[in-house]
Amino acid sequence: MTGGATGPADRAVVCGLGYWLPERVVTNAQLAERLDASEEWIVGRTGISRRRWVEPGEATSDLAVGAGRAALKSAGGGPVDAVVLATTTPDYRCPATAPDVAARLGLNGVAAFDVSAVCTGFVYGLATAAGFIAAGLADRVLLIAAEAFSTLLDPDDRTTQPIFGDGAGAVVLRRGRADEPGAIGPLVLGSDGARAELITVKAGGSRIPFRTAVPDDGSQYFQMRGREVFRQSVERMSAAATEALDGAGWRLSDVDRMITHQANARVSAALATRLGLRRDAAPQNIADVGNTAAASIPVLLAQAALDGTLEPGHRVLLAAFGGGLTWGATTLTWPGLEVHDT
Amino acid sequence: MFELLKSVMSEVLLLDVDGVRPDALREDAGLDSLAVVELSMVLSQHHGIEVTDDELFELDTVAEIVALMEQRKRTAA
Repeated sequence: MTGGATGPADRAVVCGLGYWLPERVVTNAQLAERLDASEEWIVGRTGISRRRWVEPGEATSDLAVGAGRAALKSAGGGPVDAVVLATTTPDYRCPATAPDVAARLGLNGVAAFDVSAVCTGFVYGLATAAGFIAAGLADRVLLIAAEAFSTLLDPDDRTTQPIFGDGAGAVVLRRGRADEPGAIGPLVLGSDGARAELITVKAGGSRIPFRTAVPDDGSQYFQMRGREVFRQSVERMSAAATEALDGAGWRLSDVDRMITHQANARVSAALATRLGLRRDAAPQNIADVGNTAAASIPVLLAQAALDGTLEPGHRVLLAAFGGGLTWGATTLTWPGLEVHDT
Repeated sequence: MFELLKSVMSEVLLLDVDGVRPDALREDAGLDSLAVVELSMVLSQHHGIEVTDDELFELDTVAEIVALMEQRKRTAA
């Protein structure tokens, strides 16, 4: 706790951070032939040069455990009272993946559950963790965002196959005060279920159980209406970011770093343009890891903290957008953290 | 209007517009499926010209985009 902090200790404060990527690197050259596309076409459309994918048999929980362990180490170890896992790709339809992850991290017995908000999952997870702390249910929460999105992709769909990567990022949040570095600021969350059709995996739920799904109609795969998603993501993230800044009492010129969901390099660039933010204030890692869905913000936070792009005292704006539709944004002043490369 | 389009393409979309002529194909000029979305948003937000990305995506050449922009500008005036 910093000296001079005042106000009630009812806020969530980031005190640990880590990430984990699967070992297998998949290059554009490896994808181009089957997709009838060139490496240049893929980079031009997405800004992505390579991504990490799980091996067959490797699952979301394996990535989540790696990221969770790294975040706990960064936080100096110690117990947590809850494990929240944001994911679109749980290991199983049932049960949730978080209890297994908690058990494998030596945290068996704590509250553990999954949060499903697709690419906005990390920001929704922050709100969930902050709520646990504010309600007195927990003093420390491990929030992990982990995805094995490659397991949802149509191997012949060049509009989705090159975009997504697998990975996991995690933070430890502890009880603290609003004016401490690392305290999560105003949380802006929203959804638009009237546009649910823009981003879907239709089969495998209760509407279209696998036993009734039409074989080979693509319903078992992730599908996305790219142009409308692009428009919605820029408009929704810019509105949410503006609202979060207003809530924090910050002007755009106060923002040192904007860390956004890494959907596509061109979404990030368009968002910076629309907000009027310097593009160099919006770091990206999408070229090397692709769009890791819910995991993208904590993975980028960890990599930016490691390479010095993020420094203690930086005023940081977070914004995410995903299927649902869902979106969210918040602010924090970057704390001094011991982050380890993995 | 051609100059306005080129300035948006260059300054906002960061496309290389050297040598882009009105008869250039939309895709060859760099206005691919995502660029037309951003172009549509910028024209509406900053220039009062309402064209949808669906409309832009249907057009084959830069000249056709310029013509649509001119038509919408007149309608709005």
